[in-house]
Amino acid sequence: MDVLDLARTQFAVTGSLHFLFVLLTLGLAPLVAIMHTRWARTGLPLHERMTRFWGQIYLINYALGIVTGLVMEFQFGLAWSGLSHYAGDVFGAPLAMETLVAFFLESTFLGLWIFGWGRLPKWAHVACIWMVTATAYGSAFFILTANAFLQNPAGAVLSGGRLELTDFGALLTNDALVYAFPHVLGAGLFTGGMVLVGASAYQLRRRTAEVEFFTRSMKTGVITAAIGITVTVMFGYAQFAVGIQPGKFSGNAAAAVPLGFMVEGGHLFSLIVLFFMLPCIRLLPRWRWAHPLLIALTPLPFVLAVLGWLAREIGRQPWMIWERLTVADALTPGLTSGMVTASLAGFTAVLGLLAVVDYVLIARIIRRGPGDDLSLGAAGERRAPALTY
Amino acid sequence: MELLWFALFAVLLAGYFALEGFDLGVGLLLPVLGRTVERRDRMVAAIAPFVLANEVWLVAVAGTLFGVYPMLEGEVLFGLYPLVVAMLLAWVVRDAGLWFRRRVGGPGWRRFWDALIALGSLWLSAGWGMALYGAATGFTSSPMHPVGLLLGVVVTLLFAFHGWTFLGWRDPALTGAARSGRVLALTGAVAALPALGLLAGAMGYLLDHSAPPATLNVLSLMVLPFAPLMVAAQVWVWRTFRPGKGADRIPSFF
Repeated sequence: MDVLDLARTQFAVTGSLHFLFVLLTLGLAPLVAIMHTRWARTGLPLHERMTRFWGQIYLINYALGIVTGLVMEFQFGLAWSGLSHYAGDVFGAPLAMETLVAFFLESTFLGLWIFGWGRLPKWAHVACIWMVTATAYGSAFFILTANAFLQNPAGAVLSGGRLELTDFGALLTNDALVYAFPHVLGAGLFTGGMVLVGASAYQLRRRTAEVEFFTRSMKTGVITAAIGITVTVMFGYAQFAVGIQPGKFSGNAAAAVPLGFMVEGGHLFSLIVLFFMLPCIRLLPRWRWAHPLLIALTPLPFVLAVLGWLAREIGRQPWMIWERLTVADALTPGLTSGMVTASLAGFTAVLGLLAVVDYVLIARIIRRGPGDDLSLGAAGERRAPALTY
Repeated sequence: MELLWFALFAVLLAGYFALEGFDLGVGLLLPVLGRTVERRDRMVAAIAPFVLANEVWLVAVAGTLFGVYPMLEGEVLFGLYPLVVAMLLAWVVRDAGLWFRRRVGGPGWRRFWDALIALGSLWLSAGWGMALYGAATGFTSSPMHPVGLLLGVVVTLLFAFHGWTFLGWRDPALTGAARSGRVLALTGAVAALPALGLLAGAMGYLLDHSAPPATLNVLSLMVLPFAPLMVAAQVWVWRTFRPGKGADRIPSFF
């Protein structure tokens, strides 16, 4: 592989890894926020335990979202400085908004939510998780704004060999953005819902003592998945109707194949969710024969989401910015194969291992169920002051 | 407008050093002050509520670099390519240590991740010293130059001292010496000195390479309305987790 292929592989590997975790974050954040709100309203122990259990899973997943995201942010400057040289005045604005405002607030409020348990007033604590959800959606919006600009460079003109921002409104109402954003949010909700369903099916199949807990969780999951898949499919098709990027998939098998699998998978899922899971929502928690199927379905939304990104990004080739800047021209001048090989190996090994650990930890929490060993929101005991020396 | 964004950039970078400095400092001190699991738990619990609110300052620095200084962003990061990759990995490992250390009960598991927190903190602190040197020489000199290495040691020691002061402020039993908030602010300022020095030297260059006014106007219009909320959220963190409000209470999530 030459340096260009290596740098593309590095971005594809870290980007796909990042999105696996972001996808579930986007789906679980609103669900945890709703559970927490219910708990604040009713004060019922069931709602508290649901908030803590699904909140703990949300947070373990979040850890990898952060660390992979750090690598993503810096990778632009490391390997693709041609992009910031040519279009930084335009492309940089949404990226700055994401990091400087949306993620800044998300991280701050997340810290308050995690460690504010038992310290913050009840409704202030609930407000924190809603702020986390809102800013996570804000982050997704600005990242997709930046990506949409690459697909369809609206709102900018060429001046002196560089793109210059002329219309910020056009950046935010880009045809490549307005349908892709709900598509991604829908996919997040669908994935979050299916994780609730799969985890609940696992526990119910094993004849858990927590029948009410996982029956409720499964129902919440089915409803969320139904809403999510409907939104995803609707806005998925809408993207084909806007008529940008002609010929994106016709001559490009590497983009058309993942697209085909994603579309077929999405169809199949909408049939399963809307015509089987949703009508049978009351019976599903008791139908033990169906539980292995539900468990087996859980990883598939993640696969479909990555296929969707592969289609969108490979379809953009050879352009970094559609019909303006090629990927080859965006590569940092002077970058050598040795440099990228070393960083690719480092990022892949470290992030890959951490991702595996993270999924094992999530699986472990699901297997143990909402017992007493959840750290999130555990009652703090006061210890004697440590001995000084 | 260029001046305003330079000031914001400077505040973010110096703020990162002053705030994340004590998180890294406490990480550095884990093997020194935290000989038992119980003490390490308390040390991590002391910084835990602040870490997420602190490390994000660097994320904001990088975003500002991209938005306000797009011509320099690639220059800076590429100029230090191997170092930036190493520092990113150190940051990733430190964060993973914090998130994972309490997820499984066994003492071996926690010892392993605590060692990675200390290692990641050391690597990242020393990396900052070398990165500042590399940037100060305009990326003409290797960060591994003796002066760069020396600056790495200096930054590491400053962070460790700042971390020690922080522990004295939040959980004095850990250091055996209580420190006031004023002293903590002072060591924060000292920890930020290396970054401020670089910023002062690079001010003219940065101002000359700002994004065009149209971009800066859009950024101002979009960012400044949120600034009060961002400041309020950060202040809320410090009010909520100030000492005396159960700072000695564990377990914490990290």
